Amino acid sequence: MSTITEPTTTQLPPPRSETGLVGWLRANLFSSGFNTVLTVVVGALAGWALWFGLLWLFVDSDFTVIKTLGGLLLIGQYNSEQACGEARNCFWRPQVALLLVTLMLGMSWAVAGGGLTKRIAILVTVVVALFAFLPYSLERMGWDVRLLLVANVPALLLGWALARYTALGTWRWVAILAVVAFLLTLVLLRGLPGVPGLQPVSLLYWGGLMLNLLLAVAGIVVSFPIGIALALGRRSRLPVVKLLCVVFIEVFRGVPLITLLFMSQVLVPLAFPENFPLDSLLRAAIIITLFSAAYTAENIRGGLQALHPGQAEAARALGLPGWQTTLLISLPQAIRNVIPAIVGQFIALFKDTSLVYIIGMLDIVELSRKFATSHVENGMLPYLDDVHEVFIFLAVVFWIFCFGMSYVSGRIERHLGVGER
Amino acid sequence: MTNNGPMDAVEDIIVCRDVHKWYGNFHALRGVTTTVQKGEVVVIIGPSGSGKSTFIRTINRLEQHQRGDIVVDGIELTNDIRNIDAIRRDVGMVFQSFNLFPHLTVQRNITLAPTKVRKMPSHEADAVAMELLERVGIPEQADKYPAQLSGGQQQRVAIARALAMQPNIMLFDEPTSALDPEMIKEVLEVMRELAESQMTILAVSHELGFAREVADRIVMFDEGQIVEDLPPDEFFNNPRHERVKHFLSQIL
Ligand SMILES: Nc1ncnc2c1ncn2[C@@H]1O[C@H](COP(=O)(O)OP(=O)(O)OP(=O)(O)O)[C@@H](O)[C@H]1O
Ligand SMILES: [Mg+2]
Repeated sequence: MSTITEPTTTQLPPPRSETGLVGWLRANLFSSGFNTVLTVVVGALAGWALWFGLLWLFVDSDFTVIKTLGGLLLIGQYNSEQACGEARNCFWRPQVALLLVTLMLGMSWAVAGGGLTKRIAILVTVVVALFAFLPYSLERMGWDVRLLLVANVPALLLGWALARYTALGTWRWVAILAVVAFLLTLVLLRGLPGVPGLQPVSLLYWGGLMLNLLLAVAGIVVSFPIGIALALGRRSRLPVVKLLCVVFIEVFRGVPLITLLFMSQVLVPLAFPENFPLDSLLRAAIIITLFSAAYTAENIRGGLQALHPGQAEAARALGLPGWQTTLLISLPQAIRNVIPAIVGQFIALFKDTSLVYIIGMLDIVELSRKFATSHVENGMLPYLDDVHEVFIFLAVVFWIFCFGMSYVSGRIERHLGVGER
Repeated sequence: MTNNGPMDAVEDIIVCRDVHKWYGNFHALRGVTTTVQKGEVVVIIGPSGSGKSTFIRTINRLEQHQRGDIVVDGIELTNDIRNIDAIRRDVGMVFQSFNLFPHLTVQRNITLAPTKVRKMPSHEADAVAMELLERVGIPEQADKYPAQLSGGQQQRVAIARALAMQPNIMLFDEPTSALDPEMIKEVLEVMRELAESQMTILAVSHELGFAREVADRIVMFDEGQIVEDLPPDEFFNNPRHERVKHFLSQIL
């Protein structure tokens, strides 16, 4: 027998004990004796750590060391006398590169029409421009340096207007111009012999956060298409193509990156004539890129394998040739399904850029380490206790970039969720 | 279909002669011989695993047969890529699980093949798509994604997508068996309308009411062979084989 209820439209409120803070605490932290003990112990440990952390942060720490290292952490020895000549007038070059970035951000904002892109573009530009008003000097931070920082605001607006009011306002153009901007950046930083103000700066002196970012951007942009090609190659019906791709992928996945970087420095000079034209930094960049491509390939292959076979079948039944089926049906779905894994790979790549210390490059991490050891060894620098601050600063910088990527990927995923199966 | 005059010669649009197909060692089609004429509606029934899907998929070469001949619309199915492409342009297919492209809008699902394969200008393809969506009764869904549609609506989009290539033959593989009862009706309605428009149709379906009303012939498969091939009236009232009676008694 059942009780028959008359249909009703009145909603009853949930029981008191399951709502509000008290309800939540009871359900999640104090639901049993054991859980209560666990909560108290973990809470005590966390409180203890927090207390000493805050004590150090607000009482003992001294972040002036970051201010002093400032320019060095950003661009390494790029503007030093050995790199740039006596005038040391090279600081504007990375700054103009930054202007190109904000210009592209402005264009993206206009094409995307607001939303997350707009917020990121404005946030980045404002933060960068605010640096101009810091009360202390970055490396030789004269009025010209400050002006170029402020110029990021008009650059952003210019990019926005360009995309809004000219025919350049499509993602295709943004992508093309972004590649152009990147190549321009490389030329600008490297310099052109004979052009006044653009004296060549050897790759040896590229450093700091600038080096990490350059390696990461180049690595991501180049490794992605290579990864796609490898993934498709590995599924190819041609045995030779398949074999080559499998060997490539497994070699790069089977050897630690640090070993590959060593090999690129030690083995290449053995195998090739002494004046081998590839600079050691370029060699490292290629290795990092290919390493990342091998992982990206496996991620994408996983995405392809997970597709319902009916998708390709339907496309074939419509008369689409194999390559169009792959390009228009399989790949877009596969890539979309593995965005989190691919972004994870990009984050790993960004962090791995610090391994270029192997070849003697001073990226932001190596600079800090050098700083720490040098003043420990000979007490040259007056900040004997400031090593902690430098590394905490590093952690924050890396975290901001990596969390940013992860956040954007989450948003993209949600945005694409519309057409999910 | 047999009493056409000599002037109105019947055209055999699908001809299968002694078709065999193996999956590894498993003999899935064991000598299928049949002919379908232009404009005919053939409904295929049979127990699970009897080779109905396999047979229908050999006709647009989603599966490859290993012995015998298949000639579709005058084109012999061989390994020649050009022949296969030509056949696929000419034969539309609708699947049990719809297989719409989830990352494309309904409109784009329909226009993709005409623009890419037939090189139709996109404004023309858009017009064709709208026309077809009207025909299957859901023009207002054009800008949605497949996941936002009900099963019945998705299957109707799938039919529109196949029709957009202007095929001469339509293959259906259990188009309604993944659907709830009220949606089955709307899909069968579209198929019925298609049958009346002189389209040649080969449909695997266990909707016997539909078969009785619309089919010119009902073909029964069992263990990779055709065991019966009769017009609906005779098929239901007077089947020649015990196996048909047995099968009908099971599913009715
Ligand atoms: N790709 C394959 N590989 C191996 N065996 C297969 C494959 N596809 C089908 N078969 C086998 O071939 C036989 C016929 O399969 P088919 O799908 O044609 O049956 P069907 O009549 O459509 O059945 P159903 O009503 O269940 O759809 C079955 O025994 C099946 O297990
Ligand atoms: Mg089947």
